[in-house]
Amino acid sequence: MTRPATAPDTRDIDIERTRLTSTLAETWKTPPGFWGALTTVDHKIIGRRYIFTAFVFLALGGVLAALMRLQLAQPEARLIGPDRYNQIFTMHGANMMFLFAVPVMEAVAVYLVPLMVGTRNIAFPRLNAFSYWIYVAGGALLWIAFALDMGPDVGWFAYVPLSGPQYGAGKRADIWAQMITFTELSALAIAVELVVTIFKQRAPGMTLDRIPLFVWSMLVTSFLVIMAMPAIMIASTGLILDRLFGTHFYNPAEGGDVLLWQHLFWFFGHPEVYIIFLPAAGMVSTMIEPFARRPAFGYLGLVMALIATGILAFGLWVHHMFVAGLPRLGDSFFTASSMAIAIPAGIQMFCWLATLWDGRPVFKTPLLFIIGFIVTFVIGGLTGVMVASVPFDTQVHDTYFVVAHFHYVLIGGAVFPLLGAVHYWFPKLTGRMMSETLGRWSFWLIIVGFNATFFPMHILGLEGMPRRVYTYQPDLPWHGLNVFISLSAVVLTAGFLLFFINVLKSARFGEVAPDNPWDAPTLEWATTSPPPSYNFAMIPVVGSLHPLWDERDTLPVADGLRTDRRELIVTTLAAAEPQAREASPRNSIWPLLAAVATTIMLIWSIFSPWAVVWGSIPIAVALIGWFWPKGTPEDES
Amino acid sequence: MAGVLLGVSAALAGCQREERQLRLDPPVADALDKIALMPSRIGGAPPEVYFKLGKPYEANAYNLSQGKRLYTWFGCKSCHGDGQGGSGPAFLDGWWYYGPELVSIFASIRDGRPHGMPAFGDKMTTDQIWQLAGYVQTIGSYEGKTAAPSRNDEKQTRPAENRAPAKLLFDEGPSPVHPDQGPTP
Repeated sequence: MTRPATAPDTRDIDIERTRLTSTLAETWKTPPGFWGALTTVDHKIIGRRYIFTAFVFLALGGVLAALMRLQLAQPEARLIGPDRYNQIFTMHGANMMFLFAVPVMEAVAVYLVPLMVGTRNIAFPRLNAFSYWIYVAGGALLWIAFALDMGPDVGWFAYVPLSGPQYGAGKRADIWAQMITFTELSALAIAVELVVTIFKQRAPGMTLDRIPLFVWSMLVTSFLVIMAMPAIMIASTGLILDRLFGTHFYNPAEGGDVLLWQHLFWFFGHPEVYIIFLPAAGMVSTMIEPFARRPAFGYLGLVMALIATGILAFGLWVHHMFVAGLPRLGDSFFTASSMAIAIPAGIQMFCWLATLWDGRPVFKTPLLFIIGFIVTFVIGGLTGVMVASVPFDTQVHDTYFVVAHFHYVLIGGAVFPLLGAVHYWFPKLTGRMMSETLGRWSFWLIIVGFNATFFPMHILGLEGMPRRVYTYQPDLPWHGLNVFISLSAVVLTAGFLLFFINVLKSARFGEVAPDNPWDAPTLEWATTSPPPSYNFAMIPVVGSLHPLWDERDTLPVADGLRTDRRELIVTTLAAAEPQAREASPRNSIWPLLAAVATTIMLIWSIFSPWAVVWGSIPIAVALIGWFWPKGTPEDES
Repeated sequence: MAGVLLGVSAALAGCQREERQLRLDPPVADALDKIALMPSRIGGAPPEVYFKLGKPYEANAYNLSQGKRLYTWFGCKSCHGDGQGGSGPAFLDGWWYYGPELVSIFASIRDGRPHGMPAFGDKMTTDQIWQLAGYVQTIGSYEGKTAAPSRNDEKQTRPAENRAPAKLLFDEGPSPVHPDQGPTP
């Protein structure tokens, strides 16, 4: 426990500016060194860590993709055997979906949302720390298992009966199922934090119609996470019970149902796609404003499109199961709902185009990635409408056409905006600008490499090349395109390599960034780059949707917060009127200990059901320690 | 960090159980066939190469589950049943006519036994016989192995192998299943 930096009940208004900042820094600081790193609850440190880890997983998943392209470059290649190849494509998919795409979006939000809504820390900061440790443990579980020839080999959606006890030999499918538990746990934790942060911790005056679009998108995404993730946790728990304990969730002979897996999985799995896409859409809506030099066109339409997408996302999972033999009427309904989602997507697309059309675009790297996103995502969306139709889908199901389609929507729809976002928010993360030259080079290499890699896969799919094959025979007409794809993948890899070089180089030697290098309108640019531990010396008061454009030099602030303890303002849900001063917890080691205890229990439970009984004791101890009053000033509130 | 190291070492120990050898080298397969049986044809020693390979048929999850598949495919159930026995022993109660050693089971499958057990030596590869023998051993095992297969997607007549059904079924009480088997068969 640290002593308060000022006498009890000192308010920010009572002391002068320089003393105020030093006092706040003392109250909110994360101690340097190893212990500080383990105990921190600062959303910026955890967010940075989260983003970094997610990009490490992106690189690892990329290596797997490169291996697959090497193997497929020629027919009957002997580089990778069938068993290893099964593990590699499963690892690639599971890693990219569960360890990169979803976490990285939430990680960006962990860093940015508190800054964008003008508060000092995320809600439930210790849960935030816990979430990160759980995420790392889940990722480590998957990759260590893979290194030991124990990686899952049942596809990233692990359909039963292939992943069930009869056909999924060993612990490979259990590793997959338990990795799901880890990542869903961490994602749910963040979703809850974000909802509370956005609903209750917005700066005074930030009414619902003044919330930045990225924050809106994260709000919708968080609700998607809260509603979708329980389905997959139930599904994977049922799978583990079937495999370890011999229950019959998915055993038709004993009253279980194999299709139940597909329904539960895709009830989660399709919203998952929007859990990845909506934050990216929010990033685009937010980033486009400073580069188009005008407010985003159709704020209301953009917000409504986000919400509509979020609702529709739960009504179209069956389009993943068109060949499973469901009733025709059901198929037709889900065809219609799948095509309907093109409407909100189209609304957003036209809003962005209108913003650019009417603005005076400044073509910096982030805007280039936005334009790359628009082009690529439209192509992916069009093939999406194609596979929404049952007869077409029946034809191309499980072929490379589907591989091409989802890489267009996922890389085009989420990774491109994310790369743009990294260039855009990099100064806020590190205090330095990314190199524009390297940025442009990496953009062009990535966009050209990407399209040359994935566009031919449409054709391969129409020619009948199935997914998940480790090799093909020389007399099949797929060789030429496969060589071309593998060569293009080299260009794509070079682009990503250049991007990583740019990040690492700029983090050390980049040009030092001012507070608001892009002249952007949202609150995160009102503080220094990178922000201090307390984010804002005085909580800003918001009078419009673009506070930094409309009140450029005279951003009003609220006062009256105590400086001797961690305090932030709680506001009302709709009008954001100040309601209360609320304490924010101090650093603590207990989230890490709780995460370690949870990890031991979850991994042990792959091998013995008794783990749940004995393993819950350390978790209970850790949670008691977590919530035990420590006598800090924050306890009083 | 300690947890990570612990996880790594535990996983390293379990590494062997996940390996999948899809096709044996012919010389290795030949060598695996050369078991040394006692004159009574009960018990003996597996060939040297079996130990060199790291006893792959007792604790390797893939081999065990392949064995389970072979058990169905070769109709073993029709005589040995699913705990009910029928014309052959059920294994499931932990009762072995020729001892529970893997070599004995291998010999039983390959060469057959009196009173109805046919020889499968010319119907299966050596690799397959070892896989099947390994699986059959788990049926009557007293300890649940983590590598042992779980239930099949079919009607259940008994607890799955990884639940160590032999332990559940073995009854030492006043009217034991096999009165002459002693306390720890």
